[in-house]
Amino acid sequence: MERQVVILCVEDEAEVREALLRDLQPFSAVFRIEAAVDADEAREVVESLDGEKADLGLVLCDHRLPGTTGVDFLVDLNGRKGAREARKVLVTGQAGLEDTVRAVNEAGLDHYIAKPWTPEALQAVVRNELTIFVLAGERDLKPFLPVLDAPRILEAIAQRASDQ
Amino acid sequence: MSSTSRKALIRGLIIGGLAAACLILPFVVETGLDAMGRRVLAIFGLAVLLWVTEAIPLHATAVLIIILNILLISNQALIPFAEGSLDEGRPIPGYATFFHALANPVLMLFLGGFFLADGAARFQLDKSMARVMLRPFGRRPSLIMLGLMLITAVFSMFMSNTATTATMMAVVLPVIVALPAGDRRKIALALCIPFAANIGGMGTPVGTPPNAIALGALARQGLPISFLLWMVMIVPFMLVLLAAAWQILDRLYPCSVKELDLDIRASFDTSRPAIIFYATFALTVGLWLTEPLHGMNSNVIGFVPVVILLGTGVFGVRELQSTQWHVLWLVAGGIALGSAVSASGFDSWIIGLIRFEALSGAWILAILALVALGLSTVISNSATANLLVPIGMTLTMQIEGINRVQGAVFIAVGASLAMSLPISTPPNAIAYSTGVVKSKDMILVGAIIGAIGWLLFTWVAPMVWDALNLMPTPVAPPPAG
Repeated sequence: MERQVVILCVEDEAEVREALLRDLQPFSAVFRIEAAVDADEAREVVESLDGEKADLGLVLCDHRLPGTTGVDFLVDLNGRKGAREARKVLVTGQAGLEDTVRAVNEAGLDHYIAKPWTPEALQAVVRNELTIFVLAGERDLKPFLPVLDAPRILEAIAQRASDQ
Repeated sequence: MSSTSRKALIRGLIIGGLAAACLILPFVVETGLDAMGRRVLAIFGLAVLLWVTEAIPLHATAVLIIILNILLISNQALIPFAEGSLDEGRPIPGYATFFHALANPVLMLFLGGFFLADGAARFQLDKSMARVMLRPFGRRPSLIMLGLMLITAVFSMFMSNTATTATMMAVVLPVIVALPAGDRRKIALALCIPFAANIGGMGTPVGTPPNAIALGALARQGLPISFLLWMVMIVPFMLVLLAAAWQILDRLYPCSVKELDLDIRASFDTSRPAIIFYATFALTVGLWLTEPLHGMNSNVIGFVPVVILLGTGVFGVRELQSTQWHVLWLVAGGIALGSAVSASGFDSWIIGLIRFEALSGAWILAILALVALGLSTVISNSATANLLVPIGMTLTMQIEGINRVQGAVFIAVGASLAMSLPISTPPNAIAYSTGVVKSKDMILVGAIIGAIGWLLFTWVAPMVWDALNLMPTPVAPPPAG
């Protein structure tokens, strides 16, 4: 693959983080999965991608983080070049209405997953968001076929691809 | 990251070094070519290098060839040919000859094909038709596979093999997922689509770019082949090959269940633009198939849907822009290369290098198809045809006792027969990327189908064509260009 697509999980509680990473396993064959314990570490991950052949594709973010909130982090991220196109998902049980509205309006929030989640529901959201992300960019779609939404990927291939 | 960038650097240096060698060697080594032949040898060498390595995109190589032809061998050459440096009687081609390749009539045929294919995808005619056409094949696994293969082949006769594969894969994937784990039929179902698409592409002049490259070269030699004649020559053998592929897959990969469930619900778009499109599609294909009745040639007919769909507003600027011009330009690069090769005498020279006297005409043609098959297994089918057709055409023109049409046609067919690796064709790559198929399955079945196809087309078909007296007789070639 030309450029890697990265999934970033931001979650301070070790147990929850591990549960998230476990549920994301089906995507690990095609996507690079990164985890961060707080907003600072998450920013470092995002900054480190600048120098690499990698794009931030999806952020799964807890709301309550040490020293800040997930929504603040996502708003900040939405202003960054290279991270604006990334799909943004809050994974939380504790974001109030006001925070959530701000996340939608200012951070470009794409989805809200309430804790506790089921692996199937989480994977369905991740599959959909990543499908939207890879279809929006100019890239070779074939590698995503086994893990993402196959009918939509195939339809896009049919429109773009040609015999050579 | 540093190791990958170092690799890229080394690769760049190697390709750059080879490119320099291609450009310098023809002028320092004694070859027996005249000044123009040496320059064309340099261009041809560079074309081989770039089309094989894909160091730059295929279509970029094509436009590079056009400008190099103009700047090196045309009447606009930067360094004009010195007095006496050319063989006697060799005219210098006008630079417009090479630009004309971009609007070669056969590209209009293809443009029409693209409009029909794009419209079929836009109005989802392909999806709906596939489901309706699958109904008569029932629920038995082996009949369903036959149905899938026939429909895929028919579609890829008019649409690109790649788009057809993607569309039909969407139909077949749910069936594959529903089969019990470990069922070998999954592999057959995933392979049958790309194989049928590759085979189906042979069926019409618009089926796949190598066909256009062959037709363009034949037309330049005064051997125009009509849409209908191409189909009459190719389709019967294409169907035999398809049946063989079906039987091989059916036997090698048995199914553990008695019946398969297939989604065959179809709904057709009945909006006004869709209806106009259906009518245009039917009219165009109808005209292509009835050329003997009205005499309009297939290239001219290809422009008809372009005019109707743009005129009625069914296609607008956006659709026009999303047409796959890069494929047309790739073909144009091959046509320009062909003009340069035959204008310079380079073709006769390269053929003189190889000892053909020991072989019969039929063997020479069969080997030509085999080389096309082998080359296009690892590089692009169109690039294969672009490189081989100019040489193959000259070869068949010079050898007595073989039909002149066959060289170009066999190269096009040979290129389409290459389907044993995931990289052989985009349809194979799609099937492989589903993860259902392993390389070894593709290599095994792909190689068997390639071998059967080669035997069928290069040994059986010519006998039938001769017996039916199908081959066209040459007419006067059009004026230079």
